[in-house]
This record gives sequence, C-alpha cells and structure tokens, in this order.
Amino acid sequence: MSSNRRGVGLSAFTRNHISTAQYASHGNALRSAQSDSLQTQLSVFQSLLHQFSITHAKDIRSNPTFRAEFARMCNAIGVDPLASSNAGGGKAESGGSFWAQMLGGSVNDFYFELAVRVVEVCRDTRAENGGMIAVAEVRQRVQKGKGIGGGMEVSDDDVLRAVDSLRPLGSGFTIMKLGHNQMIRSVPKELNTDQSTVLEAIQVLGYVTLSMLQINLSWERARSIAVIDDLMADSLVWVDKQAEETEYWSPTFIHDTGGQ
Amino acid sequence: MASTSAAGPSNNKPFQFPPHYAFPPFFTLQPTLSTRTSQLHSWSQLIQAYCRHHHLFSLTLIDALATPLFHNAPLRRQLSARDARAIVDWMSSAEGDSRAEWIGAAPKKAAATAAAAADGDEDTRGRFWVFWRKPEEWAGVLEAWVDATGQRGSVLTLYELAESDATANQEFHGIDAELLQRSLMVLVKRGKAQMFGGEGEMGVKFF
Repeated sequence: MSSNRRGVGLSAFTRNHISTAQYASHGNALRSAQSDSLQTQLSVFQSLLHQFSITHAKDIRSNPTFRAEFARMCNAIGVDPLASSNAGGGKAESGGSFWAQMLGGSVNDFYFELAVRVVEVCRDTRAENGGMIAVAEVRQRVQKGKGIGGGMEVSDDDVLRAVDSLRPLGSGFTIMKLGHNQMIRSVPKELNTDQSTVLEAIQVLGYVTLSMLQINLSWERARSIAVIDDLMADSLVWVDKQAEETEYWSPTFIHDTGGQ
Repeated sequence: MASTSAAGPSNNKPFQFPPHYAFPPFFTLQPTLSTRTSQLHSWSQLIQAYCRHHHLFSLTLIDALATPLFHNAPLRRQLSARDARAIVDWMSSAEGDSRAEWIGAAPKKAAATAAAAADGDEDTRGRFWVFWRKPEEWAGVLEAWVDATGQRGSVLTLYELAESDATANQEFHGIDAELLQRSLMVLVKRGKAQMFGGEGEMGVKFF
C-alpha cells in the first residue's frame, strides 16, 4: 500500500525502512507458525508410523504383500527405509537410522539378508546363464533355499529392493528389462544394442535362429553371426544343434519350461 | 538297462527329471567353456540321480543312449554318443569328482561290447560305473549297516550282503559284485574287515 505512495523528503527513507521491517517480521511470524504446525503434523505422523510399524513389525517381516504395500507407502511419502539407514540420522533425532530405531532394524536387516541370498544365487548360476537371471527365478530359488534361514517368503518386489540396497557397494548388480521380464545382471558388462535386441527377441519364443534374425531384423548374416557369437561367449545363450536350423536358446528358459 | 542284473525294490514313482531336461540345448554340448562346465555338472547330477532312482550301478553307453536318460523323445532331442562319452570322461576326471569310471575289460558283457565294436566305437569303452556313491562311500554305508545290525565279528558272504532279504531295503541291495568287492577292499585296507574265500563264494568278516 505504502509502496505506491511516494514520500517526499528524507522521511521517506525511514518510512520505507520501517515498512520493510514490518513485512519481514510478519513473514517470520507466518513462517514459524507454519513450521510449528508442520512440526506437530510430522511428529504426530511419526508417532503414528512408529506405532503402526511396531504393531505390524511381525507382518512386515513375514508377509510379502504387506511388506510390499508398506514399502510402497513409504516410497509415496518420500521415506526410503533403506536409504535412511545410510543417511546416518538425517531424519532421526539422536543419531542412528530412523528406521532402525522405529523397527528395531528389522526391515533393513530383512533386505540385507535377502540381498546376500540374491548375490549367492547369482554367483551360483553365473556359469549357466552368464550372469543374467530373471527376477522371478531368483525369487523361486531364494524361497527354495536350503541354507540357514532359507525358504524366506519374498516377492519380486522384495528382490528388486534388495538388489537396490546393494548399490552403495558398487557391486555392479543392475536390474534391466528384457521384453517384459525383469532381469538381474550380475556381471558388469554393457550389452550393445544388437545384443539386447537379440536377447529381447529370445524372450518371446525362448530361442532365435540366424534366419529369424535376418528376416525379422533385416540384418545381414555376418552381423547376426557376430552378435550370436558374442552372446555365446558370454554364456548368455546356449546352442541347440539338433533342431532343423541351429537354435540359440536363453538359459532363462531352463526353468520356465521345466517347471512342473 | 542291460548292465544291472537284480533290480532293487522296484520304484513305482517315475523319475523326476530336472528342469534342464526340457531345455533343448542341454542335449548339445556347449562350445563355450564356462557354459560347458556348468552343463557337465548338470549332466553329472542328472546321471547320478537317474541311476540312484533306478538302482543302477553301471551303464552301457550304447544301450543308455536309447533310454530316456539320454533321449528326450517328446522333445526330439538326444545326446550323441560322442557327447555322452565326453560327459562320462568328464565325470571320471578329478574335476568331475570321479563320479564315473570306464570299465576296462568287461567279459561278462561281451554282447554289449561287441555291439559297441560293431558300431565302430572305441570297443572296450562301452560300459562305465556311475558312482552315485563312490567305493569309499559304499564302504561307509556297509560299515554303518553292519554296525547298526550288530554283525561285527560275524562272517557274511558277499552274496548275502547283496542279495539276502536282510538287506532288501538297503541302498546296496543288488549291488554289482565287482563294485561290492571294491568297496569292501576299502574296508580291508583300513583294517576294518577281512576278506577270504575264492571264486564264487567269498566271505567277509567285519571287525
């Protein structure tokens, strides 16, 4: 209001000064009121979440659907149960992880345990599948696991989260999409476009042949051979010489077709 | 299968093949070394499991090639004689944990060897042991059984061990006489048993 009225003389400077100060103090008051109410909201929310997680700690550990929902909820409100354990008290009042405090570390531990299993499965099958394995396959193997604490009830979602939790280690475990299958790649090697194209094609039928590649992708024979040779060298495809035309199969189908 | 005379308690349940069995390339030996090693492992496990299930102690390569073990008829895939031989060779090696062994001269199985020879294959290499238990492991099993049934100090004939009703539900029931002798020799060497007798009727005494 006063800003439009031009004061005359030196007094204009003082008036200007006073009004800015008033604005500032008013702004401060508003801000603090807002942050106060946020603080209360947050603390209420925190205590509710705390209560929730205590009441349901057992469910979170044992029931995969429940755990997935819980994790999704946390994600939606911008709380990452895994990341916060590394943040080292970013959100927590007295050091230590927000989640570790809330859940007694059970959620974290769960995912770290699972991650260890996932790494084991990937290592065990590496020679067979060249370090590329379907998430669903890993889940099945973890569930069937015979080791101590084997037979964990897990969902695909859990496996993905567990692989994610490995990232800070720089372990080279990555999730990649092939067709509509999610795969875990445990050998840090980049696939070139041709290779991914072929692998994607394989996901459809389980195998490809050289002429299929030539016809469908209009690749030259030499190109198809080069790609297949590369994939074979990396154990990513297996050759079947007993078909009419030599077929190249993806080892992920060992388990798909064999499931009883 | 020709090579084992007495079948143990016949298994009614059909053998459950592993998932690999339905995977066509499994029947072609893979050229890539690491893949091949993994494949050989899987084959070795399959052969051992199959023999254990059907209570077989040795196989004749030529005959086995026609059986479901090496021939997946619905899938129209079958292991070639050359690949099968490579697998057995690998199983016999230290890397394959010595889970198989070619039987040098097999006079009893003249028919089988003749067939192999007629086929133009290496003649004497037709039959092989499948050690789903190695002789040393059989020795342990035998000793445990003798212990459990309180027959230490008594004399048993080899025939009794392999064929009598008392052993009917034991894994070594119907065991090949040659393999049984070999396993017992392990115990003899350890000073846990003594063998005597001659052709036809051999006895063993456990200490």
